[in-house]
Amino acid sequence: MTRLFAAILCVLLLAGCAPKQTWDIDLDTDTAEDADYTSSDLLTISDQMITSIKANGFSQHYAAAHGGQKPVMILARALENNTDEHIDTRMILDKVRTALIKDGVAQFVDDQAFDMALDQLNMQATDLYDDRKAAQLGRFVGAHYIMRGSIGNIRKMEGRETRNYFLITMTIVDIETLLITWIDEVEYKRGSTKGSVRW
Amino acid sequence: MIRKAVIMALAVLAAAAGCATYTARMSSTGVYYYDGEYDLAIGELDELVLSSSNEDCCLFMLERGKVRLAAGMYDSAIVDMQVAERRFDEIEGTVSVGEMLSTSIISEGSKEYHPEPHEKILLNTYLLLSYWESGARGGAYVERNRVVRRLSEYVGNFAAEDDPPLDVPFARYVAAVLYENEGMLDDARIEYDRIENLYPEAIPWTPNSHLTEIVVLTEMGRAPVKISREIRGYFEKVNGRTFGYFTLPGGAGQHVYPVSSAFLSGDAELGTVFTFAFPEYVRMPRVAARCRPVIDGVETGTAVTLDDIEETAMEEFKRDIGTILLKSALRTYLQLLAQNKLDGDLGRIASVLSKLFSAVERADTRSWQTLPSEIAVFRMEVEPGSHEVSLRYYDAGGRLICQSAVRQVWVEKGKKQLAWMPGPP
Repeated sequence: MTRLFAAILCVLLLAGCAPKQTWDIDLDTDTAEDADYTSSDLLTISDQMITSIKANGFSQHYAAAHGGQKPVMILARALENNTDEHIDTRMILDKVRTALIKDGVAQFVDDQAFDMALDQLNMQATDLYDDRKAAQLGRFVGAHYIMRGSIGNIRKMEGRETRNYFLITMTIVDIETLLITWIDEVEYKRGSTKGSVRW
Repeated sequence: MIRKAVIMALAVLAAAAGCATYTARMSSTGVYYYDGEYDLAIGELDELVLSSSNEDCCLFMLERGKVRLAAGMYDSAIVDMQVAERRFDEIEGTVSVGEMLSTSIISEGSKEYHPEPHEKILLNTYLLLSYWESGARGGAYVERNRVVRRLSEYVGNFAAEDDPPLDVPFARYVAAVLYENEGMLDDARIEYDRIENLYPEAIPWTPNSHLTEIVVLTEMGRAPVKISREIRGYFEKVNGRTFGYFTLPGGAGQHVYPVSSAFLSGDAELGTVFTFAFPEYVRMPRVAARCRPVIDGVETGTAVTLDDIEETAMEEFKRDIGTILLKSALRTYLQLLAQNKLDGDLGRIASVLSKLFSAVERADTRSWQTLPSEIAVFRMEVEPGSHEVSLRYYDAGGRLICQSAVRQVWVEKGKKQLAWMPGPP
């Protein structure tokens, strides 16, 4: 009996001394851990929105009408978060913007660089800088389109079971006319159950 | 073997010696908090969080989050309350085998704290206020959605006749004000309609999204606290009849009652001393009876009652007390059985442990103790811009007892600005 206890104790001690483990998770095969918003949702939503914008063809129409120029867009600060979760919705917009720039679909003005750029321009307009090499005032490019949207959810909880429905809508709006140039939505519903016993 | 049992018992006794009730451990924190000495209260809570066991840690974090909110430390208040909320959500609806065993043998306080429904709703309400006061409006709107969900989850489950005392009008009101700010007047109306049944004077004449208003929310009094009450006793046979000798709480001396011998599994239990501990809610004395806001130097009216949290806590406790008493009785009975039925060394260990647990038996006195007894509201239309707001508190005789510090409140045109201010006990 004493030997058995000693053996168990040794196993426990060894288990406690095991090195800390890390591992990579494949983003393509990663699945949601529970009914809340997760990283796999971010990827699914942004992928579907990117595919939809490309398929819409408004970028090509714009180029045809404007001598081959790409449409210039600006992001809304974030997607309007109407859920009951603290979600960084800017990540969805950032992913879509990155893909559209990389694939040559559109150009974007940086909505978050405005203040810093203005500070720099003001600084460079002073005598501290070489006029010939300083950035010139009055060359900001105005956006023609705003990319915006919202994310909302309906959550139902009963006992240990949670069901969560998400609806994400995104639009591209023409600044001059307020007409919606492109719109699409992604929706999904996921359930999860907690284990009844915890240790 | 007996020696081992004694050593084990002493070890448990040493551990148990530090097991003051939750209410006792929170006593100085409560005094500091209600005196407005937030730094001292946070210092106490820092120590309590560090030294607490897993069972109480999240509750202490909840208390610290509330104090940090009062101290204007919004970001750290959010962190504390979110850690607590996450854990409370994780354990909700689950059981732990270890806890089942420990609560059966030791005490109800040996399990992780499960907050009452009104505490869960208020947790998100204070999170909402933390986000709002920090200027993170997006976070506040998310918390508003969580508050509404929790209200539907917890209050929506009760039968209509149970609903009013268990509702949390404070949470509904704050949610409604945010709906008004967003122009969602139908949603605001739904929440105000629920409040109207309880406190018709507290709601605005009609929800609106065009008036520029200050909404002052103030806390008065202390939430009731639980104390441990113990009944000690033993059974004896006199002239063939079984009697229970009980020492009741309150120093009322010993009471003797005839009991049916069917309660006992045999004569072995006779003479064995046991402790039957249960919690009791105690209302805290109120200093302030009335609050009058001072806006831009002018006393503008009286804040009206929006939520009687004391009453809600009492009602919820009334609903739970049956189960609590039953569990306590079962625990006492199991201890008696273990003491008398187990043979040999195991029986002697059980006997030592039972006597030990009987000696240190305390009821579970945990509850969110930095909550107020009452929340009052005052709402006034103002010009857009900055305003100075302070609160004067009066006792029941109409005498001024204290005045809060003046705070600047910025109100945007066409919006409602919440100004939450903690008050005296």
